[in-house]
Amino acid sequence: MDRLRYILEDALVNLRRSRWRALAAIGTIAVSFLIVGIFLIITRNLGALLSEWKEQFQITVFLEDGIPTEQLALLKKRIQSESAVKAMTYTSKEEALQNFRRELKGKESLLEGLGENPLPASFQIRVHESSQTPEDLGKLSAFLSRLEGVEDVMYGQEWVDRLAAAVRILRLLGLSVGLALSLASVLIVSNTIRLAVYARADEIEIMRLVGATKMHIRAPFLLEGMIQGGLGAGLALLLLYGAYRATMWQLQQAPGPMLGMEVGSFLDTHWIAAMLLAGAVVGAFGSLISVGRFLRA
Amino acid sequence: MIQFFHVTKTYGRDLEALADINFRIQKGEFVFIAGPSGAGKTTLLRLIFRDELPTSGQILVNGRNVVRMPERAIPQLRRSIGVIFQDFKLLRDRSIAENLGLVYRVLGIPSAVGKRKVANLLRLVGLSHKVQLTPYKLSGGEQQRVAIARALMNDPLLLLADEPTGDLDADLAVEVMRLLSEINARGTTVVVATHDMGVVREMGRRTFVLKTGRVVEEIPEDSTTRWRPSPRPTVEDAII
Repeated sequence: MDRLRYILEDALVNLRRSRWRALAAIGTIAVSFLIVGIFLIITRNLGALLSEWKEQFQITVFLEDGIPTEQLALLKKRIQSESAVKAMTYTSKEEALQNFRRELKGKESLLEGLGENPLPASFQIRVHESSQTPEDLGKLSAFLSRLEGVEDVMYGQEWVDRLAAAVRILRLLGLSVGLALSLASVLIVSNTIRLAVYARADEIEIMRLVGATKMHIRAPFLLEGMIQGGLGAGLALLLLYGAYRATMWQLQQAPGPMLGMEVGSFLDTHWIAAMLLAGAVVGAFGSLISVGRFLRA
Repeated sequence: MIQFFHVTKTYGRDLEALADINFRIQKGEFVFIAGPSGAGKTTLLRLIFRDELPTSGQILVNGRNVVRMPERAIPQLRRSIGVIFQDFKLLRDRSIAENLGLVYRVLGIPSAVGKRKVANLLRLVGLSHKVQLTPYKLSGGEQQRVAIARALMNDPLLLLADEPTGDLDADLAVEVMRLLSEINARGTTVVVATHDMGVVREMGRRTFVLKTGRVVEEIPEDSTTRWRPSPRPTVEDAII
């Protein structure tokens, strides 16, 4: 118990003695984790947006005018029998016009010149998420186009695909940048601790000569590195949260939902814990490198 | 307590610091390793507390072969030995109390017990009134006494002193030797490396004379000239 207390005291005394060096290390780690955190939040929110879009994704099948009721029922049955189809709704010509009028709220006069209703009846088909691949959708679309009474088939999969690709690239980029910055943080902590180790070289030598174990010598430096890493990650999280709140406030001031999203979300508790832990691990690792080298010498 | 069997220490290819050293020091003895600078005295002491490994030969310390000792056992060996270094090895930016405190922190002694021990040892070496000073503000003799106090922090079975009177004037040298004799009278084996043959003769203790890494003479203890500690065994006060 006394040993643990001494180790903790030594780590805190070391931090206090080299506070400017420690602050520089904490600041650098914070910047690294801030960048990683920004990537995390962006990819997380884009991922959520993508899921939402996938959930709402539908194929619209426009029908030829004047299809008899029996043929319409048959068509409906054929489409529903497809395994990729999750659900479908029918919009008649009249309903389509009413919907259009609603969308043009305040500008209904634009429709005054229209003679007969030009809008076709349509089916809105929801597709199972597992079938929302370009290949499956292409097959389904080709099948629907060939059906008798179908005039056209439309779906906005290209957008969803592009967004999915963008999210994948962002995740990969975030991971690469995160790894590079983590490595940089390890080296920075390692250098900071190395300076602290050199500053205490005499003390370490005396400790060694009076019977201190390697672990006893290492422990305060290890703890010092972990504290620096943890504080750096904590500072990054605080800055991230501040930036997140400011961005959300800006978005809420803007009229209407942004890209179909009411508000974005911050990192989950487990991501916050993971970042703090990663900070401590990065600090501990950097510290181990320096002290390890010194003790071997 | 200490046995050297054909111990040789060579640095690099041909710098022979010690050559075929053989001796035995009994438990509770006070022994001098005497000789001029560069004779190999410091190397010999460093071999005892495993700060160095011999090139060949075996060394037993308190029944354990320190040459074959695994690295993890070295801290335990060092905890049973007190070392007074020639250059004192005091931390210049720490107070005397903190310098001594470093030992009890390493040993994991509770701070209340450690602080009491620091106070008693500083009283023993006559530096109670300078506990908060840094080594910068102490004379060479006072720094030497701090180094002695620190070497006693772990109640060592064996005390090694490297030139403990090196920079001291005659009076202070006698004072330090009196202190070491008192420590020895308490039962601690004391090995002192010195170049000062005057001190050796005055103390009348068994002495190995080293010259260019070889034991050239063994002077037996002279009971007629042997210096005895004063009748005030202040070391006992320091025992916790």
